Amino acid sequence: MLFKACVESVEELARHSYYLLLREPQLAAQSRPGQFLHIRIGESLVPFLRRPFSLAGACPQRGTLEVIFRLAGEGTAILSRVKKGAVLNCLGPLGRGFQFSASRLPAVLLAGGAGVAPLLFLARALVGKKRRVALFYGAASRDDLLPLKRLLPRETAVHLATDDGSSGYQGRVTDLFAGAVRQGMQPVELYACGPRPMLQVLTKKNEAWNFPLQLSLEERMACGLGACQGCAVSIRQGEKSTYRMVCSDGPVFAAQEVEW
Amino acid sequence: MADLEVKLGPLTLKNPVLAAAGTFGFGEEYASFFPLEKLGALVVNGLTLKPRAGNPPPRIVETPAGMLNAIGLQNPGLKGFLEQELPRLQAGRVAIIVNIAGENEEEYITLAQELSAVPGILALEVNLSCPNVKQGGLQFGTDAANIGSLVARIRRVTDLPLIVKLSPNVTDIAELARAAENSGADILSLVNTLQGMVIDIAARRPFLGNITGGLSGPAIRPVAVRMVYEVYRAVRLPLIGMGGIMQVHDALQFMLAGAGAVAVGTANFVEPCTIPRLIDDLHAFLNTAGLSSLREIVGAAHH
Repeated sequence: MLFKACVESVEELARHSYYLLLREPQLAAQSRPGQFLHIRIGESLVPFLRRPFSLAGACPQRGTLEVIFRLAGEGTAILSRVKKGAVLNCLGPLGRGFQFSASRLPAVLLAGGAGVAPLLFLARALVGKKRRVALFYGAASRDDLLPLKRLLPRETAVHLATDDGSSGYQGRVTDLFAGAVRQGMQPVELYACGPRPMLQVLTKKNEAWNFPLQLSLEERMACGLGACQGCAVSIRQGEKSTYRMVCSDGPVFAAQEVEW
Repeated sequence: MADLEVKLGPLTLKNPVLAAAGTFGFGEEYASFFPLEKLGALVVNGLTLKPRAGNPPPRIVETPAGMLNAIGLQNPGLKGFLEQELPRLQAGRVAIIVNIAGENEEEYITLAQELSAVPGILALEVNLSCPNVKQGGLQFGTDAANIGSLVARIRRVTDLPLIVKLSPNVTDIAELARAAENSGADILSLVNTLQGMVIDIAARRPFLGNITGGLSGPAIRPVAVRMVYEVYRAVRLPLIGMGGIMQVHDALQFMLAGAGAVAVGTANFVEPCTIPRLIDDLHAFLNTAGLSSLREIVGAAHH
């Protein structure tokens, strides 16, 4: 579970968004969509804790793993400057990823901003299982959108939304998808990752649609293993609610059980 | 090869490196990294009589060379621990110390009584100093008279070695240490976390759901070393030192200040194998220094 992964390349894919390609064959073979890596940023005491990153892809044949991250602070700034050949101390693959049902329903993936990363991995896996896949992808502006052509299988239908209308639909990605539902979209399975308000709105709208919906959540975490109990999320269990850990019980949860 | 076995009053440990309460769960999460029987002892999560759900998130935030936490003693309660966690730990031959936290004095007494009747528990650590729960915890732990009466009551109901964990959020930690010693404590452990706060400037309010949290990690190490040094001068009891230990040099500082054993907490979150590495490095240190036992350095900074 503790690996030394070798940096193959780092590049800026879009404004403030970086693509990190790592090589560690065992880790690549074990990783599933929705799981994450907990990466130690250097050996110094600042930044102190590891940083969790959703996997954007893993290729067992080539032994590689893909991480896509947005600059968010000191840790990601340091990571954006690592050099090819550097070795990163990685814990992983951690967490429970997306559940694959036996259903043949088309899959719709809803991504907000950097939340697109785990959905890229998921899209490839679903296309590999011959499922129909559509990605609804929202960002602040055109410059923030990742170049999806090189990151997604050709078979994926892509629908873009930007807050400023500089690319695709102007407005929220949840509204773009709601419009598609109103125009008579057939039953689908939904998978979503993005900012908390987006996931909240989507869960609310889905009460009317009642599609199966899985959410990949984010929370501040320390250990990534379930020991520190830091990354709590409130989960409904029948009449009661209980705290579950995003790192070890998630990060993927069924939308109807999450309490916001 | 030098021997790492240590005697802390009535308590004998195979080595002087413990996993600190609240940082190692009930061991399960770390069992895939190394055999837990390697631990000098595992101090399990603060245990309350009834299960506790813990505090609302966010519960943690990173700080320079450390972190704040406000978990709020989330734990399965006494019954949950005895039924779900203890059998697994015993099967793995883990040296177990149970950290107990009451919401009032009666709960501490009940916990101590019930746990004393269970075979396979090495010692009790009395959590007098959790800063993140509204009742019990810190308020017990910052008043010498409170500590004295509580420790004396617990002492009467248990024959297990009794460790009292001290809070650093006080003016004079030596006074509290003396109160615990005079009331029948066998060992003192220190320090718990320091109270702190981070403010979210965008939201213009405290970041943590609990408003305040406990600061841990290397940021607090000098404070902790100083307190171990002071308490060593004030009492005759053996001490377990902790506060930001990441590597062998850190552990040695605590031992030189007077700690007969050390506990590793927050470092477990950063490197899951910190403890086995530290044990190996202590062996190497003794061999390199030509010492037969760590006893030769405990408190040596005072001479």
